[in-house]
Amino acid sequence: MHLRFRLILPLAAVLAAIMVYPLAFSGWISVHDYRLDRIDDVAFEGIGNYAFILTNPPFWNALTNTVVFVFGAVSIELALGLGLALLLRRMVHLPNTARAILLAPMFITPIAVGLMFRFLLNSEFGVIPHYLAALGIEVDWFGPDLALFSLILIDVWQWTPFMVLMFLAGLEALPKAPFEAARVDGASSWLTFRHLTLPMLRSVILVALIIRALDAFKVFEYVYAITRGGPGDSTETILFYIYKTGFRFFRLGEAASMAFVLVAVVLVLVIALYVAMRRRPGQAP
Amino acid sequence: MTCIRTALTRTALAGVALTVAAQAAAAAEIHIIIEEVPEYDIVRTLTDRFMEEHPDITVTFDAMPFDAMRDRILTSSLAPSATYDVIIVDNPWMEQFARAGYLLSLDEMIAAAPDFAFDDFFEPLRDVATVDGTVYGVPYYNYALGLIVRQDIFDAAGLEVPTTLDDYVEVAAALTTDEMSGVAMQPQRGYKIMEEWSNWLFAAGGSLFDESGAIAINSAEAARALELYIQTYNDAAPDDSVNWGFDEALRSVASGRSATMLSYNWMLPTLNAPGGVAGDLAGNFRLHEVPGGQAVLGAWFWSIAANTEQTEAAWTFISWLTSQEIDTDRVIAGGAPVRSSVANDPAVWEAGFGEDYYTTVQGILEDAAPLATGIHAEEIIEIVGTSLSAAVSGQTSVQDALDEAAEGIERIR
Amino acid sequence: MTGRPLRYRASQFAVELTVAVAIAIVLFPFVFILATSLKPPHQVAEPGVWWFEASFANWAAVLLHSDVPANILNSLIVSLATVAIALLVGCPAAYSFSRFKAGGPARFTILSASMMPPVILILPLFLVFYHLGLLDTLAGVVVAHLTLVMPVVTWFLIGFFDDVPRELEEQAMIDGCTQFQAFVRVILPTVRPGLAGAGVFGFVLSWNDLFYALILTGGESRTLPVAIAGFWTFRGIDMGKMAVAILLAVVPVLIVSFFIQKHLIRGLGGGAIKS
Repeated sequence: MHLRFRLILPLAAVLAAIMVYPLAFSGWISVHDYRLDRIDDVAFEGIGNYAFILTNPPFWNALTNTVVFVFGAVSIELALGLGLALLLRRMVHLPNTARAILLAPMFITPIAVGLMFRFLLNSEFGVIPHYLAALGIEVDWFGPDLALFSLILIDVWQWTPFMVLMFLAGLEALPKAPFEAARVDGASSWLTFRHLTLPMLRSVILVALIIRALDAFKVFEYVYAITRGGPGDSTETILFYIYKTGFRFFRLGEAASMAFVLVAVVLVLVIALYVAMRRRPGQAP
Repeated sequence: MTCIRTALTRTALAGVALTVAAQAAAAAEIHIIIEEVPEYDIVRTLTDRFMEEHPDITVTFDAMPFDAMRDRILTSSLAPSATYDVIIVDNPWMEQFARAGYLLSLDEMIAAAPDFAFDDFFEPLRDVATVDGTVYGVPYYNYALGLIVRQDIFDAAGLEVPTTLDDYVEVAAALTTDEMSGVAMQPQRGYKIMEEWSNWLFAAGGSLFDESGAIAINSAEAARALELYIQTYNDAAPDDSVNWGFDEALRSVASGRSATMLSYNWMLPTLNAPGGVAGDLAGNFRLHEVPGGQAVLGAWFWSIAANTEQTEAAWTFISWLTSQEIDTDRVIAGGAPVRSSVANDPAVWEAGFGEDYYTTVQGILEDAAPLATGIHAEEIIEIVGTSLSAAVSGQTSVQDALDEAAEGIERIR
Repeated sequence: MTGRPLRYRASQFAVELTVAVAIAIVLFPFVFILATSLKPPHQVAEPGVWWFEASFANWAAVLLHSDVPANILNSLIVSLATVAIALLVGCPAAYSFSRFKAGGPARFTILSASMMPPVILILPLFLVFYHLGLLDTLAGVVVAHLTLVMPVVTWFLIGFFDDVPRELEEQAMIDGCTQFQAFVRVILPTVRPGLAGAGVFGFVLSWNDLFYALILTGGESRTLPVAIAGFWTFRGIDMGKMAVAILLAVVPVLIVSFFIQKHLIRGLGGGAIKS
């Protein structure tokens, strides 16, 4: 067998063992009226579930909220992460300690982060509003206008460290010679960044963006811990909605079809991003 | 699916064979899923006594927070043989679980035990446990809502504790100052706001469904209840508390920042416990019936999983724990009453929290009604709870919100 | 020429100041939870109070009378096992995807699988584990976490292999290596930062997972997130004990991450790209 396949074989075998059956099962469920409180009475639905969810406003609302969340959170994290990574490389005092501390937030389980910020941002006994009030600022963090944005900020707090880690690794892997040459030529640091660093980091940026975006699409715990999707349905996210439909309201068929639509939407977005960034090798993303 | 089901059956049969063999050799072991609440501490202590009296039965608990329970019960019930032999069931789940075949009928066991006096349990609780005339659960504890107030503040201001909705709205506003809110509300989307607002709905004379079973959530009474609720949120609740749930409201009352809250009747002993959450304020709290007099009923029930192989041991445990004698000890230790005879027992008043508390709890329980019933209860609560939250946060008008809730219920029925 | 060192020092100061602000933002919640873990219960709700009579009751309760230390150990075992398997299996596959252009679609199929919400996969997994006797075992959680971690880790590494110039293994093959030997001896060391990054990310995904662990573990096999979620009950959220659990969990990982990032820095010290 060609080396190419021999290298893929272990992965293929493990994925087949642990994922084929669950995926096939959920595919089967998604075309049936499968309810957890009636599993002996399951009717074939065909595309019925899909037709229903695609015309169901709450599904679209949840999907829109999620896309806004992902776009907001990931772009802020990308900018902050890249900036911090560049700064960290210039640290002279205690760089290792600084890095270690900056990585800490991503090691707290999100449900705990959610509950922590529910307290930190509480209007009556939260520390942050307490000190903001001393400055004369009053913010309704979880009111209808800001709730989704507040969840984005929480995500930024927890996940910017991942971007920092990615870019530290990426910057470390850059060859030194072109930068020496640029320095000798007297290029400004902005020019160096714009025309050397950014293009050379392209694939790291792409990987970081996609991985973080995929993870952000699964946002669930912050919503669960703080707003439960409210006020109204302003922070209802897609995974929370799928969870409720499937596990709390028992309509697993509908939930599975939503999951497949979600996967399709995400795949299209990811491939579009991938193609857009690969097509223009000379340009910064 | 056929192949799966055959495999399931085969394993189930193997399981039965194994268990039969095991039972002959060793004693029974029952595994119980239970919510991590103060009641559980009491049950655990009592269970130690049970195991001393019944050395042949071992009881183990898997205690967890509320939000984890439904998922675990669901997966245990779908497995060929139960992870949990005994399940505690929340009232909105009862009908759905019973109809899905997750629970065992208790009729024969209750009938065979005349001393058990099932009729002694408060009627609204028995009603929840009964689906199509069959009993699926024995009441464990109630969490009907009451009005918890800082009695010292009312006394100092010379105010009467409100008994009607209009009084409540007025008093809550009157109590509100820069330092203190009149009422700590729980308008968090979904279950929380629905649980709280339903008391207002009942007080305004409204209901989810009318007597003929038609949807009544967008009635004039409901609209009035929601208008008053929103007015009170704006006038008398802490600022920016639109996402508050149980925890925030409790903290606000316990730390002296709010004067009243609608909450579970058994929160009273917690608040009044010396050295507890309320610090120096302990002892100043008192429980009253909710304004309007009809409260939202919540209750947990002991049920036996349909897929258990330990039916007998499970019933032995449940019927022991909920018997008049043991239930008396449970209530004295701070458990929420479910039996009329226990709540009326002067010995309980004396050893527990005083006659006044138990009389109030009885008054609450007599006509309390669940949030929602039927197999869609859980989803109805979510639908209405979402619309209410939208209205309270000013995203929709009162009537639009209620109409939307009515449409939502119509769609799933 | 005196301006340059001054400007340099000023910009260096700005760099360190900005990082210090970032560190303060990151640390602030930790300071808050440390204070919470030491506050007496009735003062937890008082944000302005930083001077209080410290009580170690929460620490004693969590360290001595709870399963949290055991939960942390469970989480460590699960996460490390998951990451080890994912890297071992994912690395060669990623190399193959990168070198023998498998085309975009093939790369993304493995990714798409990991996008499947746990809610949907949990039921079939649960039933399979039931039959295999893997419920309430750490092995079951590892398998569930592999569905989450392995595709992402593999895909993650593809990007890093893409960046390694082909000349490297071509040179090695001219020197007499087979392609597989070139992969192991030459390519793998150059993607060490990628391996570390992928490893850390895989670790985080597994370490933080609540949903699978909630349903697949019970009793002694509980992982840390399940235990932490367990402090959120109808007694109210036990912030004090939760704070202790969070701190207990973060400190060891912080130490580990201290060494991992050192490794990241040295990763290329003897690497081939530089020379």
